[in-house]
Amino acid sequence: MTTRRAVLKGIMASGLLARASWADAGAPKYLSAGRRPNGSYAVYGLSAHGSIQFEIPLPGRGHAAAAHPTAPMAVGFARRPGQFALVLDCLMGSVRQWLAAPKDRHFYGHGAFSADGSLLFTTENDFENAEGRIGVWDVFNGFRRIAEFSSGGVGPHDIRLMPDGAALVVANGGIETHPDSGRAKLNIPTMEPNLSYVSLSGDLRETEALPKELRKNSLRHLAVNSAGHVAIGAQWQGDPKKDVPLVFTHKMGGALHAIEASMNAQSGFEGYVGSVVFDATGQAIAATSPRGDRFAIYDLADGSHKAFQTPDVCGVAASEQGVVASTGQGVFLAAKTSGAQELSSAPVQWDNHLIRL
Amino acid sequence: MLKRLVFGAVFLAQPVMAEQLLVNDALDAHILPRYEVLAESTAHLHDAAQTSCASNAPDLRQAFGQAFDGWVGVSHIRTGPSEENERAFAIAFWPDTKGFTPKSLATLIRDQDPVVQDPVEFKTLSIAARGLYALEFLLYDPAFVSEAKEGYHCDLVKAITTEIARNASEIRNAWQSYQAKLREPSPDGPYRDETEALREVYKALGTGLQFTADARLGRPLGTFERPRPKRAEARRSQRSLRHVEVSLQSTYELALILSQTELDIRQSLRLAFDRAFELAAALEDSDFSGVADPMARFRVEVLQQSILRIMDILTLELAPALGVNPGFNALDGD
Repeated sequence: MTTRRAVLKGIMASGLLARASWADAGAPKYLSAGRRPNGSYAVYGLSAHGSIQFEIPLPGRGHAAAAHPTAPMAVGFARRPGQFALVLDCLMGSVRQWLAAPKDRHFYGHGAFSADGSLLFTTENDFENAEGRIGVWDVFNGFRRIAEFSSGGVGPHDIRLMPDGAALVVANGGIETHPDSGRAKLNIPTMEPNLSYVSLSGDLRETEALPKELRKNSLRHLAVNSAGHVAIGAQWQGDPKKDVPLVFTHKMGGALHAIEASMNAQSGFEGYVGSVVFDATGQAIAATSPRGDRFAIYDLADGSHKAFQTPDVCGVAASEQGVVASTGQGVFLAAKTSGAQELSSAPVQWDNHLIRL
Repeated sequence: MLKRLVFGAVFLAQPVMAEQLLVNDALDAHILPRYEVLAESTAHLHDAAQTSCASNAPDLRQAFGQAFDGWVGVSHIRTGPSEENERAFAIAFWPDTKGFTPKSLATLIRDQDPVVQDPVEFKTLSIAARGLYALEFLLYDPAFVSEAKEGYHCDLVKAITTEIARNASEIRNAWQSYQAKLREPSPDGPYRDETEALREVYKALGTGLQFTADARLGRPLGTFERPRPKRAEARRSQRSLRHVEVSLQSTYELALILSQTELDIRQSLRLAFDRAFELAAALEDSDFSGVADPMARFRVEVLQQSILRIMDILTLELAPALGVNPGFNALDGD
C-alpha cells in the first residue's frame, strides 16, 4: 500500500495525473456533492454501495460534476450562479485546480468532456445579454479557457456529449437570471426553453422547442444512451399542480416525445424532475422528483413503469443491475423495475446529482 | 386575537387540526380578502378610466395607485386561480428585462391597432402590452403620456384597465371554488393532506419576501461598481419603495397568521419585520435612484439585509416548527 501510494505521489509530483487511471483511485464508482452535518459542503467518491471512498471539502454548495473519460479526475461545479469550478484529483482526494468563470459569466452547474478528454465544455450565463454560452477549456494545458460559443438558447443547464463524440446536447432551460437578483427568475411569462445540439466548435446542428402550451416547462437535465437517444427531465414553472409531462425523449432529427407516465397527475412529481438517467442497458430511464418524494423507472422497450416513494430523492445513476439513487437524507439505494433496496446510509445530505465514473 | 391564541394552544396537541386551522385562517384573513381588494380596486380603476383617461387625470392616477397597491398585496400568492390562463402575468408583467412593454406599446400606438376596440381580441395581445406596468408607461412615461381626452391613447388606457379588472375579478371568483381544495385536502386533490396545504400557503410567504429582496431591491442595487437605478420596479410612478413596503405589510400579515401557535417565533418575526419597516420608512428614496450614491445605497442594502433576516427566521425556525420544511433537494430548485 505504502509503495503504491509512493508511486502515485511520484506520478502527481511529475504532473502526470492524466496517465493514472480510475482503477488507481480506490475504484470509486460514483461522485456526489453533499452537505455535512455541520452545514459545510464537500464532494465525495462513493463505492457501488454508497460508502464513502474519499471526501473533498468545498467552499460552498456543489451541484454536479463531470468525470474525465480516462484520468481519475473530475470537475465539480458550484451551485448556480457559480463563479468557480474545481478540478478534483480523485487519487489524492484533493483540489487540483480552481477554474474561475470569466468576467460577466457564471457557471450553471454542469459540464461535459470531449471523448478524448482534451476539452471541457461548461454551461454558462452571459448575464448582461441574457444569453446562454458554452465555455471551452483546454484540459491538458492547465484547463486554459480557449473559446466559447452560443448554447442555442437562454439558461443552459445540463450538457452531454453525444455518443459519436462529434456533438453536444444542451438543455437550454429558458430561464433568465442575473446575479444581481440572486436566483430570481426574471422571464417566466416569456421563457422559451429548447433542446439544442451543437458541434464541438459551436455550430448549431438542431434545436427542438416545446409546443406553446408547454413553454413554461424548463428543460433542465439530460441523459444520453449509446444509441443517441436523449432523455430530458423538465421543471414546470407554472402551477405545480397542472398536469404536464416532465420526462421527454428525443433523437436527433425527430420530435420531442413526452413519457405519458411522467404527467404530474400520474407521477406525483409536483412539476419537478431533479435528475434523469438511462440504466446500463440504455433501455430504461429513471427520473427523480425530490418535491414529489418519489422516483420512477420507465422501461422504453415495453412501455411499463414502476414508481418508488423516497423522501427527497434526487441523485440517480446507472448501476450494473439497474440504477442507484441518493437522497437529501443520506440514503443510497438500488432500484430496478422489480423493486428498490436501501444499500447504505451516511450522515451526509446527498446533493442533486450522482455521477457515475 | 386572544381567542385565536388559545385555540392554537388547544390544537397543538393535535397537529393535523392545527395545520388546517392555519390554512383556513390564511384563506379567511389574508388570501380571500386581499384578492377581494384587488378586484374592487381594479374595478374602480376601470371606472376611473372610463370617466377620465388623460395621463394626468388625478382620479385616474389615484385609482392606478390603489389598484397597484392591491396587486402588490397579492403578488406573492401565486397558486391556482392567479396562474390559470396567465391571469397574474397579464395583470403584472415585471421584470421586463428586454423592454417588451415599451416596444409593444409603441407598436400598438404607431399602427393605431384597432385591437383596443375589442376586449376579446385584446386578450390575445402579448402580456407585455397589458396590465399595470403597461398602464404605468401610458400614465407616467414622458414618451407615452397624453393629456387628450379621446383618441388612441385614451382607448388603450381604457382597454388595459378593462382587461386588468376582468382578470382580477376572474381570480377572485375562481378562488371561491378553489379554496375548498386547500380547506379539505384529499388524496385525489392537488393537496393530498393538511401538511401539503399548509406548505402551499407557507411557500407564498417565502416567495414574496424573496422576490422583494432579490428583484424589487436586488435589481436596482446591481453591484457597487454597476448600480442599476433604472431597473427599479415602477420607478416612473415613483412607487418603487412603496411596493417594497406594501409587500412587506402583506407578507407580515401572513407571517403573523402562520406563526400564531409559535409565540417565540412570532415575536422574532415581529421584531424582524419592525426593523424592515423602520428602515423602509427612513429611506426617503421613492424610486431607488439613490443606489448610485454610496451612502444612499448602503441604506437600501441594509433594508435588503433586514428582509433576508426575516427569511432566515422563516426557514430556520417557522418552517421546522410547522413541519413544512422542504427537503435539501426539494428546496434547491435546480
